[in-house]
Amino acid sequence: MPAHLIGPSEEIVEGRFKIVEMGKRSVGVTRLRGVLYAVLNYCPHAGAPICHGHLTGLVTSDGPGQGGYDAARAIVRCPWHHWEFDLADGRGICAGTGRIKTYPVREAEGQVWIDA
Amino acid sequence: MLIDFDVHQNIPRAAWSQYLEEPYKTEVAEYGLRRVSYGVRAEDGGNRWDVQDAEGRSPDLHPDLMTKQLLDAYGHRYALLTGVKGPVAGVPDNDYAAAICRAFNDYTIDVWLRADPRYLMGIFVPLGDPQLAVREIERLAGHPQIRCVCFYGATRIPFGQRFYWPIYEAAARHGLGIHLHPATTALIANPATTGAGMASTYLEAHVCVPQNYQGHLVSLVLEGVFEKFPTLKFAFVEGGFGWVPHVLWRMDKEFKGLRQQAPWLKRLPSEYVRESMCFGTQPMEEPLKTGQIVSFFEIMDAENLLVYASDYPHFDFDPPDVLPRGISETARKKILHDNAAAFLGLT
Repeated sequence: MPAHLIGPSEEIVEGRFKIVEMGKRSVGVTRLRGVLYAVLNYCPHAGAPICHGHLTGLVTSDGPGQGGYDAARAIVRCPWHHWEFDLADGRGICAGTGRIKTYPVREAEGQVWIDA
Repeated sequence: MLIDFDVHQNIPRAAWSQYLEEPYKTEVAEYGLRRVSYGVRAEDGGNRWDVQDAEGRSPDLHPDLMTKQLLDAYGHRYALLTGVKGPVAGVPDNDYAAAICRAFNDYTIDVWLRADPRYLMGIFVPLGDPQLAVREIERLAGHPQIRCVCFYGATRIPFGQRFYWPIYEAAARHGLGIHLHPATTALIANPATTGAGMASTYLEAHVCVPQNYQGHLVSLVLEGVFEKFPTLKFAFVEGGFGWVPHVLWRMDKEFKGLRQQAPWLKRLPSEYVRESMCFGTQPMEEPLKTGQIVSFFEIMDAENLLVYASDYPHFDFDPPDVLPRGISETARKKILHDNAAAFLGLT
């Protein structure tokens, strides 16, 4: 599996995507609560550049009228239509939304790499 | 060729003082716009989140950016500007509403229609006072880029009732159709946001926009609007279209037995719809099995009833390739261009 150099660690800042070209693919890399995530910059719904969306936690509920917020979950919401996907495994939060493509990403000696 | 039936320009706050007349010019400058309260969490910003340029400019406020991001990117022949209804929908003061409409119309003519000949617009009118609405139609009709009259869905009287007929008389006389769009920025201005009552959330109300549209469609047909004004056209935009066959079937079925309550109709109710109405594609219906949408297009005769609408730059934008792959090229051409051209009187 080839490794792709994304850039220096300091360029991957908390809560923002750095978008890079990886061959023909546009890929977004971000850091949330110190954890790195890398995803294909493409929403499976309508093809939007999903890395221009919002990074949030997960709004939760234990039942009608009870709302909560799980800040430990890493969610991207698409800039179009606002669908939610979990950055950890790419899965859509709602049934029927499919999943976004995720990549293994690591940090070594001050550089960030994607293995894909 | 592409005609986009729903593109949202907005007005910069500073421009109101340039276009409003007194006493509203001073009022808005000193105290701001009168706003009918949301009361609910809405669509988290309204616009798509990827449309601002590097300087933070938004395409709904900058025609050059809109042109680049939408018209040039997708190859629009025309884009119908339908504005934002928040400053006027549900406002109970009709003189103020009329002034807001005039200012918004003049701003759109000055800034947008002059920016590019591909921009068309609808006339904003105060729906609470048809006489004032007619005055605004008479003031602006005849401009080559003004092609319809904009209605919004926050009203207390169904659109078929004779209260509105002066507007239809003026619109039909000038060859202008009616473009109905939900007033989601004024949910609380509706007597109820669903047929069941007032919804708690924007999500709930947004899903139920077709209920409001069903009421208006049935009213328009059964009150005899299209017998009185046979050339009038009426478009339902941003309410989807999955509900249309059901309403037409039910209306025809019930009419057969209860015709005495609408004896002025000379044909089955659905025939007036097929001749005088059209429906925006957006938000595209998304069945669980995606292929079913093609069958549905055939069921509702979509190629003769739908017009493509993007809703740009709002969050639920649909690009032109939202149309299903399995439809005929004839149907695609009619939905992307010909049906809108006919409605807007374009050759």
